[in-house]
Amino acid sequence: MTMGSHLTPLARSHIEQADVVFAALSDHIVEMWLQRMHPDVRSLQPYYAEGKSRMKTYREWVDLMMAEVRIGKRVCAVFYGHPGIFAWSPHKAIEVARSEGFDAHMEPGISAEDCLYADLGIDPGRLGCQHFEASQLLFYERRIDTAGYLVLWQVALVGDRSLARFETGPAYRQVLVDLLSRDYPLDHEVIIYRGATLPIEKPRIRRITLRDLPGTTLTAEQTIVLPPAAPLKPNLAMRARLEELDKAVAVA
Amino acid sequence: MSDTIDLLEAIGKNASLRHASGQELADSLERADASEALKAAAMTGDSSLLCAELGHKPMIVNHDVHAGWKEDENEEDLDPGKTDPDPSPEPDKG
Repeated sequence: MTMGSHLTPLARSHIEQADVVFAALSDHIVEMWLQRMHPDVRSLQPYYAEGKSRMKTYREWVDLMMAEVRIGKRVCAVFYGHPGIFAWSPHKAIEVARSEGFDAHMEPGISAEDCLYADLGIDPGRLGCQHFEASQLLFYERRIDTAGYLVLWQVALVGDRSLARFETGPAYRQVLVDLLSRDYPLDHEVIIYRGATLPIEKPRIRRITLRDLPGTTLTAEQTIVLPPAAPLKPNLAMRARLEELDKAVAVA
Repeated sequence: MSDTIDLLEAIGKNASLRHASGQELADSLERADASEALKAAAMTGDSSLLCAELGHKPMIVNHDVHAGWKEDENEEDLDPGKTDPDPSPEPDKG
């Protein structure tokens, strides 16, 4: 999401018409911009703490929002990008509000994923595109399809089981590389991407090899993309079935 | 001097400015009486140069739980040495 460019007219209207606005943004200049739109913007940043479970922080956020809802305020919570993507508390706050009989809904936003498709020139409809939170690949048995794009989120804190850290480190990324190397050669391209937050910035796009990922410094805002490593493989059995079906339809 | 936040919003909204070169942007900002910090940041694309004018506030960007977390888990159970990811993941959040 880029300041000035990607806030939808409807989202802005919600902000302006709210009684109170909560903000979980990625840049303090964007927060300052938001403060121009409403006199009562409350940053959610102070609730984070190193060593404190982020789950506790997120629950506090929901409690803060719901406390205002329960006293009859019109509440708007602003999250950078899309509020429903890689964000727990917006979904939870809506769930809780509805369960208590309040009207609540989510407005979609322009996420990092949307910017990534535009900036990297990827059409997910062409070869397919899998998205995973990076740790999920380590915690669970997942099936990677190397014929499509693979997008991994939150690689900077891959393997963290505590929810209390904001980054892990090279040894954790090495575990991820070891896993990915079952499906990709170590010299396979890895694109490190970060969209522009301020309109004076350009998207940051860096290309490295998979083997260099552990030694590459990453921030929480960066996403990695692995381009396809294999061609699409025709499904001969399904094609044969479809051919039979076409013949049957033509005869009927 | 023009307001930097207003100018940033204006750049973000303007099709000619949003993807202009650093030099073109700096020239436009010169005409708009922008601050020295904004002109320097626009010229280089380095937003950290705005800190001199607008301050610096580190922002944490994580808003989600990771895949190993369960809804019914207590924060106390999330100690790194204690938590084992459950074999059945909760649905993706988006």
